[in-house]
Amino acid sequence: MLRIDQLKADVENKQILKGLSLEVKPGEVHAIMGPNGSGKSTLASILAGRDAYEITGGSVDFDGQDLLEMAPDERAHAGLFLAFQYPVEIPGVSNAYFLRQALNSVRKARGEAELDSLQFMNFIKEKIKMLELDQTMLQRSVNEGFSGGEKKRNEIFQMAVLEPKLCILDETDSGLDIDALKTVADGVNALRSPERSFVVITHYQRLLNYIVPDFVHILMEGRIVRSGGRELALELEEKGYGWIEEELATGGRA
Amino acid sequence: MAEPKDPKDMATSLKSNSAPLAGLEFDPSACGVLTAVRAEAYQAFLDRGVPTTKDEEYKYTPVTDLADRYFVQGGPVPVPESAITEWIYGDLDQIRIVFVNGHFSEELTTSLRGVEGLEIRTLSCALGGRQEIIEDLFGKLVKPQQFPFAGLNTGTFKEGTYIRISANTKIEKPIHILNIATADANGATQYVAPRTLVVVEGGADATLIETFATYGDGPSFTNAVTEIHIEPNGHLQLVKVQQEGLKSHHIANTEVHQAPDSAFNHYSVTFGGKLTRNDLNVFLDGQNIHTRMDGIVVIDGEQLADNHTRLDHAYANCNSFEVYKHVLGGESTGVFNGKIFVHQDAQKTDAKQTNNTILLSGKATMNSKPQLEIFADDVKCTHGATVGYLDRDPVFYMQARGIPKAQAEALMVYAFAAEVLEKITVPGLVESLEAMLFAKLNVQ
Repeated sequence: MLRIDQLKADVENKQILKGLSLEVKPGEVHAIMGPNGSGKSTLASILAGRDAYEITGGSVDFDGQDLLEMAPDERAHAGLFLAFQYPVEIPGVSNAYFLRQALNSVRKARGEAELDSLQFMNFIKEKIKMLELDQTMLQRSVNEGFSGGEKKRNEIFQMAVLEPKLCILDETDSGLDIDALKTVADGVNALRSPERSFVVITHYQRLLNYIVPDFVHILMEGRIVRSGGRELALELEEKGYGWIEEELATGGRA
Repeated sequence: MAEPKDPKDMATSLKSNSAPLAGLEFDPSACGVLTAVRAEAYQAFLDRGVPTTKDEEYKYTPVTDLADRYFVQGGPVPVPESAITEWIYGDLDQIRIVFVNGHFSEELTTSLRGVEGLEIRTLSCALGGRQEIIEDLFGKLVKPQQFPFAGLNTGTFKEGTYIRISANTKIEKPIHILNIATADANGATQYVAPRTLVVVEGGADATLIETFATYGDGPSFTNAVTEIHIEPNGHLQLVKVQQEGLKSHHIANTEVHQAPDSAFNHYSVTFGGKLTRNDLNVFLDGQNIHTRMDGIVVIDGEQLADNHTRLDHAYANCNSFEVYKHVLGGESTGVFNGKIFVHQDAQKTDAKQTNNTILLSGKATMNSKPQLEIFADDVKCTHGATVGYLDRDPVFYMQARGIPKAQAEALMVYAFAAEVLEKITVPGLVESLEAMLFAKLNVQ
């Protein structure tokens, strides 16, 4: 589904990604962990199509298409979804309007009929409940005045509505208390299916207690330095990132 | 000023003057009872001439090319009803009076009779035998010496509208004046001079919509004057919509006089026109007056829109709120000049002025000048102006959810404009204006 090959990218002439490779197959859940500044969020932003980065090498294939050539909205149409670390507030645009526009854009691209507001309301009813969101939030401006937890739940709610193939969760756990974390994780788990893949980017292993990954990758200094199963995350939790840095420095695992 | 001349002599002497705008002449024989007042106003225009950009009030708004045109005041050519759907806001329930090239159009006008408390008729009809209109109302608020185009309008208008809302009456349906200028067959500039006189009696309440549009693809020059008298505790909402074509010059002078305890809410919407200049002047002549004057300008290409507003707080305990928003694309130019005068007796004045601009292009220009002059010491007066580009983060966020960029930008603009549009208390109208906005932004 997603094949990242030797991806290199700069921000303001500073190299952030230094040859990152990753393959995600349908139905898989990959966790990418790494210390601050390792390039985790850069990777998420590049996949979603933010234009603040300069790609200097490598390629990204998404379902047979060159992802890097696609506009952000085309990526969404193709089934890619980024749950933002910092969801953006859009004063004056209601959640309901925004989400219906988004859904209909995606449906149109898929060749499905657009939904009118009544059909839309029926479509989202269950999903709203699942994320324990208040109906009244639909009339409020997108993310405006939302608490940190509400914003993150709103991201997963949007994901549930748009039904993407590949979901990238960028530090979705940051700033969440344990209850909100569970709600978000339940929402994500409800969406897991043999066709849908996830890339869960996180600093802490805590989230992975609730969203159990098939693979864990450690990102450091712009490349994936180690991959493994779930146990790798637990090891990180126990020992921190220092031991990997040391191993790398001494070439201990060459 | 020179000593007053005898209007009759003046009217005669005018004839020998060559008019500064070719094709537009003052015709005293057509002015009837108003000959003297119209001649005097027209003389003020002649004395002043067409302003140049050396004139501080026209610094950013070049109108001198009007002097190179040839103008016609065409006849009431037929405009099919199907053509006006957009300008009458679909099936919005309204009391509508329509003018084509400044002539009353009976076919496009709805029934003007039978609404309790509402007198609406053509100005020529109202002026016939109504001495109080001539003596107390007509032309009493305009200042041709200061606003030369108001003098030109006074000298050249063919027809107009007279509206009187009776005391303590609420008119439920909006009253709509639609002015259409058509393309001249020979390519001359169609000149129309809409003239409106409104009296809102004590305790009355009404909504007036003024829409300006063009039919056909020819140059036009609309030069409008609206005088509004709001008596004690009267309420008026005025929505002005500029939807003229891109070959149109539009200059309008709206003069409002508010008596104590009255309320005036004004919303100006400018999408059309090559050049639009609005002078809106409101005099708060008493205590406990509420005034709102908002505007939204969405233009692109080589369009120019200039809003000059003036508020005079003359007495204590009044409040005024003013929000003008601009969305400028292409190489368009926005101008805002907001004067607020708080006179010495106007203690406890609460005046707030805001002017926000979004530039959609690096070649668009905004000229913003708040001008507060405060002579009272116990007042709350604030003003603020911002100019900036569209925030990229929300656009990217919407794109990441599948909304194409152009539509995302349009949504941002819509949200920005909505703050003004949503205050309009005519529901069907707001939706129509929003649809016009999206059409202007080239999205559905």
